[in-house]
Amino acid sequence: MHKLFAKLLAKATKSSGQLDLDLLGQLVSTAFEEADHDRRRTDRSISLMVEELDQLNRGLEKTIAERTKQLFQREAELISQNQRFDAAINNMAQGLCMFDAENRLLVCNAQYAKMYSLTAEQMKVGTPLRTILEHRFATGMCPKDEEDFVERVIDRTSSRKPYVLVSEQADGRIISYVYQPIAGGSWVGVHQDITEQRRAEEKIAHMAHHDALTGLPNRVLLREQLNHHLRDVQRSVSFAVLCLDLDYFKQVNDTLGHPIGDALLCAVANRLRECVQDTDVVTRLGGDEFAIVQIGVEQPTSASTLAQKLVDALAKPFSVDGHELVIGTSVGVSVTPNDGTDADVLLKNADMALYRAKENGRSGFSFFEPEMDAKMHERRTLEIDLRKAIAVGEFELFYQPLMNLETDTFSGFEALLRWNHPTKGLISPTSFIPLAEDTGLIIPLGEWVLRQACSEAAKWPENIKVAVNLSPVQFRSKNLVSMVASAIANSGIAATRLELEITETAMLQNTEQTVSALHMLQGIGVRVSMDDFGTGYSSLSYLRSFPFDKIKIDQSFIRDLDKGNEAIAIIRAISGLGKTLGMTTTVEGIETEGQLEQVRAEGCSEVQGYLFGKPQPASEVPCLLSSFGKRSQAAA
Amino acid sequence: MRASELSWSATEAWKGDQTKSHSANLVLYFGARRALAEQARFDELREIFPKAHILGCSAGGQIHNGDVVDDKITALAICFDTTNLKLVCEPVEDPDSSFACGTAIGRALKGDDLAGIFVLSDGLNVNGSKLVAGITSVVGREVSLTGGLAGDGADFSETLIGADDAPRAHRVAAVGFYGPAIRIGHGSAGGWDVFGPRRRITKSIGNLLLELDGQPALHLYERYLGEEDAKGLPGSALLFPLQVCNPNRPDSDIMRTVLAVDRERRTMTFAGDVPEGWIAQLMHGNFDRLSAGAADAARQAQYGIGDGESVAILVSCIGRRLLMGQRISDEIEAASAELGSKTRRIGFYSYGGISPHAASGACELHNQTMTITTFYEAA
Repeated sequence: MHKLFAKLLAKATKSSGQLDLDLLGQLVSTAFEEADHDRRRTDRSISLMVEELDQLNRGLEKTIAERTKQLFQREAELISQNQRFDAAINNMAQGLCMFDAENRLLVCNAQYAKMYSLTAEQMKVGTPLRTILEHRFATGMCPKDEEDFVERVIDRTSSRKPYVLVSEQADGRIISYVYQPIAGGSWVGVHQDITEQRRAEEKIAHMAHHDALTGLPNRVLLREQLNHHLRDVQRSVSFAVLCLDLDYFKQVNDTLGHPIGDALLCAVANRLRECVQDTDVVTRLGGDEFAIVQIGVEQPTSASTLAQKLVDALAKPFSVDGHELVIGTSVGVSVTPNDGTDADVLLKNADMALYRAKENGRSGFSFFEPEMDAKMHERRTLEIDLRKAIAVGEFELFYQPLMNLETDTFSGFEALLRWNHPTKGLISPTSFIPLAEDTGLIIPLGEWVLRQACSEAAKWPENIKVAVNLSPVQFRSKNLVSMVASAIANSGIAATRLELEITETAMLQNTEQTVSALHMLQGIGVRVSMDDFGTGYSSLSYLRSFPFDKIKIDQSFIRDLDKGNEAIAIIRAISGLGKTLGMTTTVEGIETEGQLEQVRAEGCSEVQGYLFGKPQPASEVPCLLSSFGKRSQAAA
Repeated sequence: MRASELSWSATEAWKGDQTKSHSANLVLYFGARRALAEQARFDELREIFPKAHILGCSAGGQIHNGDVVDDKITALAICFDTTNLKLVCEPVEDPDSSFACGTAIGRALKGDDLAGIFVLSDGLNVNGSKLVAGITSVVGREVSLTGGLAGDGADFSETLIGADDAPRAHRVAAVGFYGPAIRIGHGSAGGWDVFGPRRRITKSIGNLLLELDGQPALHLYERYLGEEDAKGLPGSALLFPLQVCNPNRPDSDIMRTVLAVDRERRTMTFAGDVPEGWIAQLMHGNFDRLSAGAADAARQAQYGIGDGESVAILVSCIGRRLLMGQRISDEIEAASAELGSKTRRIGFYSYGGISPHAASGACELHNQTMTITTFYEAA
């Protein structure tokens, strides 16, 4: 019997045991109704649930379709991105590799494989780092002298600290390496072959420290060497600095051109190298200046020996491109520790000594002496004063008469420069003309002299000439001839009244240019005199190379007249030569009537000296002319 | 501890063993609202049990002799030997004052040796979740808290609570058990099955459900109930209880049953909270599995209870009765079989049971379950 029916039967059974059929029927009917109701509810809910689930299912299918489409798109994007990524990493100049936390290869680029000649098998994902390192070690593509290379690299990666290192490989390459750990235990390595870069850096460093022409160390390296050796000085290792300046190099450059000049400098560099010990350093400071650092315990004797050796070596002719070139050198020497314990001081002092050597006449050497410094200081002060003097006009011209022995009248005046220094008073030209020549100030000063003398002469009678001295340096100026022409034109005097006096030195330098200028000057009517003849080489070739209008015999011959017959013989010879060549001969320094009569007897045409008048200010000239005219008239 | 059962019917008045009624210190009674509303029933009980606390409520059917009856008031008189009792009653105006009511009860009962609380609450004007939270917030989670919400059959018009007085609406009464001897067991299980899609609670305020998956919740219920059952709302909604769970704690699922519907606003009021963002799924019952659920609750409640005489209070849900109809006695039989012959039983069909959650241990309001509390007094 069904459990429920049994219950209903029990409920419908009265306590007397009698069954209440009406109640039973009612209960059973209710039970059926409840069952029907439950079934309908269940059916309905199942049907709705199925409907809802179906709807949801469709929604899910739609979502899946959309997601799948998105996934395909994303996949395509990822493929494309991966391709770009591949292209990027495979076109990198650096080798790139990425390993996981267990040191297994995740990815590497073509450059990495190329750098270490990895096989396709070794480039596969999952290749242990050890395999690659062992391959590199076996093929010499690892840092040289690193026997424990493999273990060392593996240890380093386990530290997980970023690092950068540069090492020279056993195969000669220089590789820079960057290790960078990334999240999750993996890491990236970037390898770069910087061999070329290093070579270039080394080359640049070499260029920065060496002279491109001769390959010698330059001033920068010299200074470094000096500082290096100066540290040794404190350990009692003495050394010398020798500064060299080539003699006549400029002439070679000017006359034969820079290619020859450059070749000569190279030849000089080679000769200098041959002269020194391995421990010495030869450097080129620039132009025709060189310096040598000489290490030698026997100082200053070693430096002295070397300096003489250098002077001798460079005095020998050089054969450059078919030219036989004769130059020379002057050497200045400073020695540690007495002449300085500082690179700048040593160089400056050696340079001062060099200046002295040149002053003393070329092709020699000088050691630095403390008074040079004082003298140099004095010279610098003078240079400053000189510039100021030119600017403010502290100069004045004095005039000394020239006497024509045929007419016994003044034929002209020589203009002589005087400097009225505001504190030092009158300064002699011998004190400042060399400085003016060295500094180039002679150009403006010389021009002032010429223009002043011409304009002064314009005030004199037309038969009175004016003589002006020209410095050899002025001949280097290309404007000399036009400047002279301009001075004559501005003053209004006749060109024939101007006499330009030049010394042998002018003829020695740059002869062609000088002679050409002299011809042009003579061409405009100016007279040209050879001054101080008889003191230097007194080469007759000068007289032949240019038709001087006058020869001025140096006053030293007059002073020596009473010492014997040699002086008078020379005066006679030059006088004869003048007559033969058609040149006026003037004797300087006549102070007595006796001297006058002697030179007159030898046939000289003109005299100059205190006997006729000391150099006088311009204002005295008219008076002098007037009084002399009266005197000569009285004498007649 | 001793217990004896009594019952009242219009034809037979109070029947049962009344020989030791003077020693009883707690009487529990349940009956239909109309039967309880009369002052006479309480007066009669007070006369029979002059020293006992008398606690009762209206119900949607009373458990009597292994069956469910509507025309009788059932009562159980218990005589605790050493356990002290305290009965409190607090008024409750509306669901919003539930938490405050709970804390008032907690404060009134709190004591060092408080071992457990059995609470009976108004079934329509209380948010059961908030009431439980209010009591627990004062006494703590370690104190056993069980009980139920009074019922009103399928009428949902008024529920009554009596606490040493004639039963009335808008109140919550609770009895506290003190001392070391008392052992309280509890169990709660449904046996309902979820069905259909999982839905998200997209709009709700406390225990007021507005929308599921963006649609009015009432619409869903009407569809599932069909024209025939929809007329019976809100009672018929008990046929499809709702399982809700916090998506972050999927194993903390709780059943929620409908208390009221507002057809104009398309809203539904549940016996407990239905928080926004939680997941909800319709449930339906199968007679056999509901009975198995009742047996499971009984097994849980027996755990830790001694071998001697004990008492079990069965609080089942009106929804189960609506669904099972005449088969409702199946679940009483299943639970009784587990509880055994030494356990005196009383129970009623409620609007919700109160008991700790079987999985989480936290006391909660349960709907559509069989909730069983057992009392045993150790020697």
